[in-house]
Amino acid sequence: MGISRKWTGILITIFTGILFLIMMFPFFIVVINSAKASLEIITDPISMPEKWSQLFENIKIIWNKPTIRYASSVFSSTVITTGSLFFISVFSAMAAWMLVRTKSKLSTFIFLLFLSGLIIPFQVVMFPLVELFRRIREFTGIHMLKTYHGMILTYIGFGAPMAVFLFHGFIKSIPKELEEAATIDGCNKFQIFFRIIMPILKPIFVTVIILNAIWIWNDFLLPSLILGVGQEIQTIPLAIANFAGSFVKKWDLIMTAVLMAAVPIIIGFLIGQKHIIKGMVSGSIK
Amino acid sequence: MKKFLALLLVMVLALTLFTGCGSSDEDESVVIYQNKVEINDQLMAFATKYEEETGVKVTVKTSGGDSPYAENLKAEFQSDRQPDIFVIEGMGGYNTWESKLATFSGDEWIDLTALEFTVDGKIYGFPVAVEAWGMAYNAELLAKAGVDPATLTSQEAYKAAFAKIDGMKDELGIKSVVAMAAGPDMRWVTGLHNFNGYLSAGLEYGDTTVLDKLNNGEPDMDRLTEYADWVELLFMYSDEAVLLTGNYDAQVGQFGTQQSVFVHQGNWIDPWLNENGVDFEMGYAPHASVYGEHNSIFIGAPSYYVINNEGENQEAAKAFLNYMATNKDGHDYMVNEAKMIPAFTNVTLKPDAPLSANVTEWLAKDAKYTWLQNDMPDGFGMGTIAPLYESFAKGDLTKAEFIEQLANKIKELK
Amino acid sequence: MNRYKKDRIYFWIFLAPALLSFIVVVIIPFFMGIFYSMTDWTAIAGLKPNWVGLENYKEMFSDLAFQYSFMRTFLFTLLSVLSINFVALAFAFLVTRETKLKNFYRAGFFIPNLIGGLVLGYIWQFIFKNVVPAIGSLLGIEAMEKVLILADPTLALFGLIFAFTWQYAGYIMMIYVAALLNVPQELIEASELDGAGPWHKFWNIIVPMIAQAFTITSFLTLVNSFKQYDIIRALTNGGPTTQFNDVVVNSTEMLAVHIYNVAFKYNNMAEGQARAIIFFLILSIVAMTQVYVNKKREVEM
Repeated sequence: MGISRKWTGILITIFTGILFLIMMFPFFIVVINSAKASLEIITDPISMPEKWSQLFENIKIIWNKPTIRYASSVFSSTVITTGSLFFISVFSAMAAWMLVRTKSKLSTFIFLLFLSGLIIPFQVVMFPLVELFRRIREFTGIHMLKTYHGMILTYIGFGAPMAVFLFHGFIKSIPKELEEAATIDGCNKFQIFFRIIMPILKPIFVTVIILNAIWIWNDFLLPSLILGVGQEIQTIPLAIANFAGSFVKKWDLIMTAVLMAAVPIIIGFLIGQKHIIKGMVSGSIK
Repeated sequence: MKKFLALLLVMVLALTLFTGCGSSDEDESVVIYQNKVEINDQLMAFATKYEEETGVKVTVKTSGGDSPYAENLKAEFQSDRQPDIFVIEGMGGYNTWESKLATFSGDEWIDLTALEFTVDGKIYGFPVAVEAWGMAYNAELLAKAGVDPATLTSQEAYKAAFAKIDGMKDELGIKSVVAMAAGPDMRWVTGLHNFNGYLSAGLEYGDTTVLDKLNNGEPDMDRLTEYADWVELLFMYSDEAVLLTGNYDAQVGQFGTQQSVFVHQGNWIDPWLNENGVDFEMGYAPHASVYGEHNSIFIGAPSYYVINNEGENQEAAKAFLNYMATNKDGHDYMVNEAKMIPAFTNVTLKPDAPLSANVTEWLAKDAKYTWLQNDMPDGFGMGTIAPLYESFAKGDLTKAEFIEQLANKIKELK
Repeated sequence: MNRYKKDRIYFWIFLAPALLSFIVVVIIPFFMGIFYSMTDWTAIAGLKPNWVGLENYKEMFSDLAFQYSFMRTFLFTLLSVLSINFVALAFAFLVTRETKLKNFYRAGFFIPNLIGGLVLGYIWQFIFKNVVPAIGSLLGIEAMEKVLILADPTLALFGLIFAFTWQYAGYIMMIYVAALLNVPQELIEASELDGAGPWHKFWNIIVPMIAQAFTITSFLTLVNSFKQYDIIRALTNGGPTTQFNDVVVNSTEMLAVHIYNVAFKYNNMAEGQARAIIFFLILSIVAMTQVYVNKKREVEM
């Protein structure tokens, strides 16, 4: 009995390792092909590159290409992602808390309204949204399209449903006594929320931030509509799509660009790994 | 945690204040929104030169590839800074954007070309470049196989040549005679370009009878049947992988690595060939799309720069285009930098890329068939009929079924 | 002012930012979209759309391509949900065992989720078209060398599901991991004392305890599979053609891609919009049914 257990254990370990390698395989392909010249990729996709220095050459090309504007798009992506993350989480937490603590038909209705947002596919609101933004400028002079704030507002609108849903579930399990005690002590709602509730929400905050960060950083469709491809403000996916020319797919540069787009987020993930995984694991089940 | 959040908030808000308030360079400057990603860098450089010369700022915006220009153009117009110059392709584009087009008149470049875009006697479009396609061949391999390109003028001649070359596959080191693609990524090659053969091969330049019939829902059955023979011939001698799933790189790559003798593409593949160090001699032979003798290749100006009639810088925009056509800096940009074949007769520079150079020879002989595929209804070429080619190539459709379904799709256009 | 009024003001202050953003960005355009779907809108600024009533909807239901896309989307969704959940659950079990590398594996399985859909589609396209044949020739397996995955409707569909699972399983795995870690150890230990084998443990103890997770994961995988666009566009672009009722159709043109094509390729924004509305309705019904059924089952367990 004991021996068989041990063998099963070893087999499972090996199996896990193999699965892991399979999962990593596509990354391996991207990395080795980023260091090849275009023709080499087509003729020899799985062999090691002839010279690794080609990788640096490719990186230099991408960095300097005026069509991509890598440095500037990294900046834009960062601003948009951080800004959106901040507002989505704070605003949604505020809304969710109010919805949980206020038991009324209105509050249930609003919560369901948010939930419906989870199902609304982007295609349905795509163009009307752009049209709406244009009308807003017509009537109020406020620029919405091709701006940072327009983009961030869009993300708040699309990100709120999921975030509210997650916060809502979590907040339900926070005992009311804490808040009641604080109220008796004379705290107003703002103080209660920011001083007492927010710290408790930390794990779910982390979850919300991670989920939205991945989505927003890699998002293509929304920015292509709000910011437009080839305009002043570009996020990384926009820059890459713009670069992958009409009919010409330069796989070597595309692979390199893909690598350069994925590296920031992977590094970010690896750094915050411990917290992220802990956050996801403890937060998502509620 | 709270302090950090507060700091972040302030930072982000500050940034949005700085950057968000939209730029108002609505003063003397021109915005051109175009769709050739391959020449974006060169066009931007030319715009800089133009600004040095004239003081007028030209902003170049580009989009294309997987983020299709047509859709983004619509979004552009929804936004607050509409482009002054944008691009349309043929009647399809004209019909969509009719209400937004200003007319040209009296500009110098008009007399220097025969390819401007006109509707009802009014000039709307400035031809971006001359493009052409035919059956591009590898001159060295063709010679080795003992086939004289000058004889490739009819379906019979091609049939014989293909059979001969196919028999020598190992000697020549090729995978298949023709590099042809019909897969989901290459719908423009079959549904638009190849189908254009049905529309205009063998006809006089400017003859639109077949096209007009198509737009009225009338297929020319005899012509369609002859055309299907040509399609079948091409498919028969292609490499299956490239034909069914190959993308642009795979198809042009097959030709570039000398694994095929012919490739079904236009002179726009020159930059790709150049970048990948391809340097064998090559040239064009006509498509034998229908029966009879063929002695021309398809030449045209597929895209046009047009002027936004609601723009505030129309004159400046027109001046920029005129400069491109008439000034030597413009010529240098078009031919040497962007590697395009200009549509203007006053340009003395000759493109040095092999296929483009060959095209100028055909142009000089005035041996051209019309480029009509962009005048078909929107989405017809790539969306409606291209899948039929794919199914035919896979063997899901017999030749008879292919013809029948193609005819039906045309009839649905009524 | 009285307590009640003060509460109401606070209610709205807290709710306003998120709610307003959501209404402006999603709800209002949604209703605008419903309006547009009953016109001949082409989204060209300045052109006034004309009312056509239910014309677009009627056309849609008689469109074979739409019917086909509908069926394929259901098939794709069903298979993806099964595939992703099965793989994710398996992963979750593997990474909740006591091994030294468990955090390493968790991170590794999760990382594919960090790659955006469009880019991921290209990578997998490259793998299916170029790498698989190369491996086949390396190993000397001719079938593998010659296979054209993306030319066969069934293989292409499986390819899509494979790539999508690769991307998404890690994320779902995290949810299952959380659920597994919440299973009280005492229960498992007690059952082991009673002599329960691994199967018994799995079915009778673990599954009921993670029932709640199932609701969430089925909802997420269902909705995401149904809405899938990026990967399909990049990997198969609608896919190889095939025959459906004697009509040539695109075998992996799922609804989201189909809607986009109708709207843009054919310049029929209004028709695309109408299909999007139906798409939304179907998705809502399916999703809500699924949640309802699962919630009931949760309670029973």
